[in-house]
Amino acid sequence: MKKSAVWLGHLFALALALAIAAVAVGVLESRSAPLHVALPKLFPFAEMSLTVDGLSAFFLLVIALGTAAAALYGPSYLGEHARAPVVQTAALNIFVGCMVLVCCAGDALTFLLAWEGMTLASYVLVVSDTRNEENARAGLFYLVMAHAGTAALLVVFLTLTERAQAFDFPALRLAAHDLDGSTRTVLFMLALAGFGAKAGIVPLHVWLPLAHPAAPSHVSALMSGVMLKVALYGILRFGFDLLAPAAGPLPVSWGWTVLLFGTVSALVGVLLALQQHDLKRLLAFHSVENIGIILIGAGLAMVLANGPGTATLATLALAAALLHTLNHAAFKGLLFLCAGSVISRTHQRNMEDLGGLARRMPWTAWLFLLGAVAISALPPLNGFVSEWMTFQALVLGGARLGGASGLLAGVAASILALTGGLAAACFAKAFGVTFLGRPRSTHAEHATESPAPMIAGMLLLATACIVLGLVPGYAMRLLDRPTAELLGGVGASAVVIARGPLILSSSGAPLGLAATSISMPWVAVLFALVAAGVWALRSWPRSAPWRLAPTWTCGMTPTSRFDYTATAFAKPLRLIFAALYRPSSEVVKETGASPYVIRRLAYRGGVVDLVETMFYVRLKCGISASAEAIRTYSTGRIHGYVGYLLVTLIVALLLFGKG
Amino acid sequence: MKVAAHIAVALAQAGLLVLLGPLVTGFVQKLKARLQCRQGADLWQPYRDLWKLLRKGTVQSDTASPFFQVVPVLALAATVVSATMMPVLWAPTDIVPVPLGDAILLLALLALARFVTAIGAFDAGGAFGGMGASREMTVGLLVEPALMMVVFSIAVVGGTTDLGDIAARRSTLAALSWQAPDLLALFALLVLIPAEAGRIPVDNPDTHLELTMLHEGMLLEHSGPGLACLALATHTRQLIVINLVAALFLPVGMAHGMSPVELAVALAAFAAKTLVLATFLGVVESSYAKLRFFRVPQFLGLGLLCAFLSLALRIL
Repeated sequence: MKKSAVWLGHLFALALALAIAAVAVGVLESRSAPLHVALPKLFPFAEMSLTVDGLSAFFLLVIALGTAAAALYGPSYLGEHARAPVVQTAALNIFVGCMVLVCCAGDALTFLLAWEGMTLASYVLVVSDTRNEENARAGLFYLVMAHAGTAALLVVFLTLTERAQAFDFPALRLAAHDLDGSTRTVLFMLALAGFGAKAGIVPLHVWLPLAHPAAPSHVSALMSGVMLKVALYGILRFGFDLLAPAAGPLPVSWGWTVLLFGTVSALVGVLLALQQHDLKRLLAFHSVENIGIILIGAGLAMVLANGPGTATLATLALAAALLHTLNHAAFKGLLFLCAGSVISRTHQRNMEDLGGLARRMPWTAWLFLLGAVAISALPPLNGFVSEWMTFQALVLGGARLGGASGLLAGVAASILALTGGLAAACFAKAFGVTFLGRPRSTHAEHATESPAPMIAGMLLLATACIVLGLVPGYAMRLLDRPTAELLGGVGASAVVIARGPLILSSSGAPLGLAATSISMPWVAVLFALVAAGVWALRSWPRSAPWRLAPTWTCGMTPTSRFDYTATAFAKPLRLIFAALYRPSSEVVKETGASPYVIRRLAYRGGVVDLVETMFYVRLKCGISASAEAIRTYSTGRIHGYVGYLLVTLIVALLLFGKG
Repeated sequence: MKVAAHIAVALAQAGLLVLLGPLVTGFVQKLKARLQCRQGADLWQPYRDLWKLLRKGTVQSDTASPFFQVVPVLALAATVVSATMMPVLWAPTDIVPVPLGDAILLLALLALARFVTAIGAFDAGGAFGGMGASREMTVGLLVEPALMMVVFSIAVVGGTTDLGDIAARRSTLAALSWQAPDLLALFALLVLIPAEAGRIPVDNPDTHLELTMLHEGMLLEHSGPGLACLALATHTRQLIVINLVAALFLPVGMAHGMSPVELAVALAAFAAKTLVLATFLGVVESSYAKLRFFRVPQFLGLGLLCAFLSLALRIL
């Protein structure tokens, strides 16, 4: 009974995913007016409606991809060891439905209701998987941060609706046209903060690595791969559309702010990910990094949208950001599903206690490797394509802008290059320690492959990674409509695939600079051919003996303790970036009769998240201190409180009561 | 037809780099030996080593997964494909029919080779492999961004990151139209190429002491044909990096057409440039001690800083 309910629920989510994918592709392929649906009137004071334009449709596609994979994967995963599978299935469906509604909302009310529903449904999923104090705290932290963000959004929406005297987006857009420059910028910064809290932009990221890993793995995939993108949709919707001035350029400060936060998020996210040994937490930190990479593209597009003659580059930057959005949904979803597969078979999240899984769970291992190559921006997979486009936009944009603003683009390009190297190191560690070598716990030793439906979910996303990497030309056509809507001018495909669908070019003819072109399919074919040739060369002397032997461990019996650990792997980086990590370590030696004979050795080490210690801990101390300070005034006597109320009322009347 | 011809040229240039890679290693080894007043093995020794390894049997660790056997193939294939993006003798002046890849893709493919090799090092379950992987990835993540910045610095002028275009553009200009950023970028590259080629002062290709191994630590458990593939990948990588310097800063003498005279000049220029840079590698290797691993970041930081300054000066 329970099992069939779970299956039915996931089938429903799958059907929903297919339906919204169909709608999304339909809208993206067409050039007609946005799809508009009026909703039944829930409140007497407002009409509610759904509008699907190019930007909405593109994000619907992202949601559909993640949801389809999660729906295939979910039933088997929940069937293994879930505590409340039916509740979780219901919450999953509500969660997906709310994300869809946020992206389609045609008015402020629908948007905020769906936004809140998304937060609450995901909160239920975060706290329901395992009942322990850590999860409950993670859920609470998430809820507080999400609502702080929603509060910022409420201010933005209320300011606009108050001016427009209506809730629907076209009216808000008109109202925004009359705003003066500074109010407009303040509203955008508030929106950025509000959506940033959800998207996990540094310094608002601290809840993310706690909450995302706590949910069931396919929900983690949805939260990291899709929900963060919904927040990104908000940033793009407000930045390029709702708050944009009627005519003339976007304010310069917007683009630079987004670019700056993107750069910082990318670097901080990957640096912190490197020092994580919890598989899912490591992946969650990488989401911070990838959101940063997307924001670099989006911010650059905002900056370049202003300048004369940089419209083509702006389109390139925005196309890079949107493509990376889709790519990240594919590879981060894949990695989370693989991590879930490992966790469901071994009940271990700490990679130091895993190892040797490639021989026991081959499908999971190979698919994780594929995701790792993609997320490290290595060719020939999709992560490389969008980062290549981002690099091109940054370098050409920097050259075009020149001066201090060009330099910032150059700095962003340099940091993005560093980020790629760090991500590769991180995933060499994650894959090597988790899947290769010897198993380091009995759980890992007795692991078996996950059931077929789970592998099907992973395969779906793996296929997306390969297809988006090899033939990104088709994805460019899907980006035509959103890029043209947000920036005007020709769409993405006229800029990026001007030389044919198999060739990516960095700049079109209008720019007057030489274009750079690469051809992923040709490179992939060449790679396959060369690899086949090398394989033939390698296995050519058939008569040569081939034997297995234990690894040489300097004469000692090889055990799993000889394997290099994740902590040790990340040690050089801990030392290089010690200023940021502030690493601490403690070694406890237990000696026998002689101090030279060591019986036991215990090591404990850790790093800090500087943002957390510098900002959040101080914030907490400040709040506690001020609470302490007003304690003397909160006496507990009812007369006192009535008195305070009276004073407040009089002050309020004096200040605001005249009108 | 044009497409096929273009791909054939790219493959031929890559083939040249693969074939001559071991010779450059042989030259550096010979030079080192002479500088140390030894006779040394002759220039062809790396080829003999490869031939010997190819015919030998394989001993594989009993903990290794099937992935272990694929590692050498993927690493060599990625290196060879990255070589196809390098203008060696021929830099086209008109638009190529099938662009394969630019400098970013070239560096990314080299990074892929490094990534795959590093992962494979975990598979044998010994500490040396993991240690080598950890160190190599650390060095890699400092070298790769610096190389990217050098490429960006050049790209800011020409608006392209395509190595063929860069080489063609710069070779048609007067060879000494260099500006300050070029000098900084060249200096950065000269600091970085020993690291990328796995040589002193960052790494020592001749040692198998656990405390000094970087790249060799990752190859320790490979044997026979697999080791031959990885060794060939290392030789090729070294020549690619040497050629990167030549293509970015000294693309003189490159052929633009297909006439035999032009190609002969290009071949001579290629040989001369490679000889000079290989001599540089050999002399540096003979005159410096290997740095302690935790001093390496400071050394590479110098390259990183120069590369960044070069980019910054160029944009400003």
